[in-house]
Amino acid sequence: MIAFGCPVTRPEDYERFAAPGISRVREPDSVVYPNSSAGSIHRAYNLLLEKASELENLEALVLLHQDVEIVDEKLCPKVRQAFADPQVGIVGCVGALDARSMAWWEGTVTWASFTHHYYEYGGGELPAFAMHPERVRPPAYARTGEVDTLDGFLLVLSPWAVRNLRFDESLGRFHGYDFDFCLQVRDAGRKVVTADLNVVHHHSLELLDDPESWVEANIRITEKWEGRFPLVGVQIGSGAEDWKARARRAEAEAQAARTLRVSAHMQGSARERELQRELAEITGSLSWRLTRPLRRVAALTRGARRSGDTRP
Amino acid sequence: MFIFGCSVTAPDVYARAAEPGFRLVAEPDSEIIANAAAGSLFRSYNLIMEIAAPREDLEALVLVHQDAEIADPEFCRKVREALKDPQVGVIGCVGAIDVRNIAWWEGSVTWASFTHRYREFGGGEVQSFTWLQEGRPPYARTGEVDSLDGFVLVLSPWAVRNLRFDEALDSQIHGYDFDFCLQVREAGRKAVTADLKVVHHHSLELVSEPEAWIRAHMEVAEKWQDRMPRVGLPNWGSASEDWKHRARMAEAQAGAAHLERVSVQMQAEARERQLRAELDVVLGSTSWRLTAPLRRLNAVLNARRNASTR
Repeated sequence: MIAFGCPVTRPEDYERFAAPGISRVREPDSVVYPNSSAGSIHRAYNLLLEKASELENLEALVLLHQDVEIVDEKLCPKVRQAFADPQVGIVGCVGALDARSMAWWEGTVTWASFTHHYYEYGGGELPAFAMHPERVRPPAYARTGEVDTLDGFLLVLSPWAVRNLRFDESLGRFHGYDFDFCLQVRDAGRKVVTADLNVVHHHSLELLDDPESWVEANIRITEKWEGRFPLVGVQIGSGAEDWKARARRAEAEAQAARTLRVSAHMQGSARERELQRELAEITGSLSWRLTRPLRRVAALTRGARRSGDTRP
Repeated sequence: MFIFGCSVTAPDVYARAAEPGFRLVAEPDSEIIANAAAGSLFRSYNLIMEIAAPREDLEALVLVHQDAEIADPEFCRKVREALKDPQVGVIGCVGAIDVRNIAWWEGSVTWASFTHRYREFGGGEVQSFTWLQEGRPPYARTGEVDSLDGFVLVLSPWAVRNLRFDEALDSQIHGYDFDFCLQVREAGRKAVTADLKVVHHHSLELVSEPEAWIRAHMEVAEKWQDRMPRVGLPNWGSASEDWKHRARMAEAQAGAAHLERVSVQMQAEARERQLRAELDVVLGSTSWRLTAPLRRLNAVLNARRNASTR
């Protein structure tokens, strides 16, 4: 049987997103654990692992964030297919190779079959490159299979992983649990793989709301794994061990990135001002103002028609 | 007398920005040196300094970027006022204290009397916090700073005759301002801000070549660490010798900053999509389409009216 677990901090999000997705794909014998969560995600997930490890007929444990909606009705058969290889320890829908730190997106992303649904600015969707292969041909580098790490918003654990590994609660409250867990899986000689599991991530466009704790977690994880795992925290090249040069370069890179962020913000604001000017010019024009009564009548007619339609 | 100098790589930009500024503030005996760029900005500025240095009556050398337009009729008077203090070596209109590297804006900015005019997206303006008289924040003050923004630098005769921009730095343009201010301060002189109004006609792209900027950042930090207090230290603390920790910290910060930039871009694109959708609704509405002939007629009448008044 396939179990589902979700730590819940905002019940309304769970009801709106995670719960319908689980209902869509769960099988008659599936067990669902929506647990309240007050501590770290590491701890919340460990509790779910404890519960799931007691299930004798467990085939997989699907761990998902409360804002993740599974939209793939074939999720369970696809998970079973991925676990047909007994070496697979964990499966996800977004993954990358050459992940050297928690910033796995700076490695080479090989698969991303999700849609980012945001609610700011009137809402919208940003489908990742492998979400709709029937509509948009995925790029040449798109492929499922073995990766270094997965994005943690959806993780499917094998029974072996559930019974033998735990999320490292010493790392912090939220960030880096996915990268660290994937390293644990690989350290134990098992595989981390992506599969074509389709989900919608209902998430703000604010990708990093707490940079300080992200930075701290990144340092802790790098220090934990450097030397134990090839490439983690490593730079290839003759200057890799020249920490002074690396520090100088990284400090400069960080400041350049912050300046580029300011530049991006200024460009965005300028673009917004331009469009608002255009809009104001139209809505302030004589012809727009003159035809206002017509639009009011049209709106009233539409409203009346709509209420007429809904009458029993 | 004042000399105004500019290194020109784009004559049309110079003609549009720096030149009208010079014309606005130049005095009858002022001299304007508009040189074609000689390699790096460091070298170009040094050439202008070589020309200015022998002038016995030199009061100040004003070095501006070709896209900087001085918009302050009181400019020369204000410079003379600032140079009354003989210890002042260089003056600017934007400056900061606790500057540790070429990213002076990550220090504590105390003065910025310029406005940033851009041409992208229909054009617009971003006014700095002391461009206008009103609404200045409590931390706004002119006076001594660690570094100035180099788009306008006013050099004292002492600076012109005793210092040079460091051409040995592996940079075409980045870091010359911070390095020069450090030279001034190392010689015991002052870098100060003054209320000089300048319009910076500049793209919204603030760092067009991040790799070159990063190289200059590293070189200037290496040059000045241990020669000047705090220079070359990380922004977040004083662990100057724990290089491994500094590297780890900065690599993590760089990763976070990259992600935040992506987030900002995504938000901007989402906002744009929202406004475009609103615009599409308006443009596609029946009333807007019905009145199109009226607008066309109005445009024709306006064109005729303009032609007859010309």
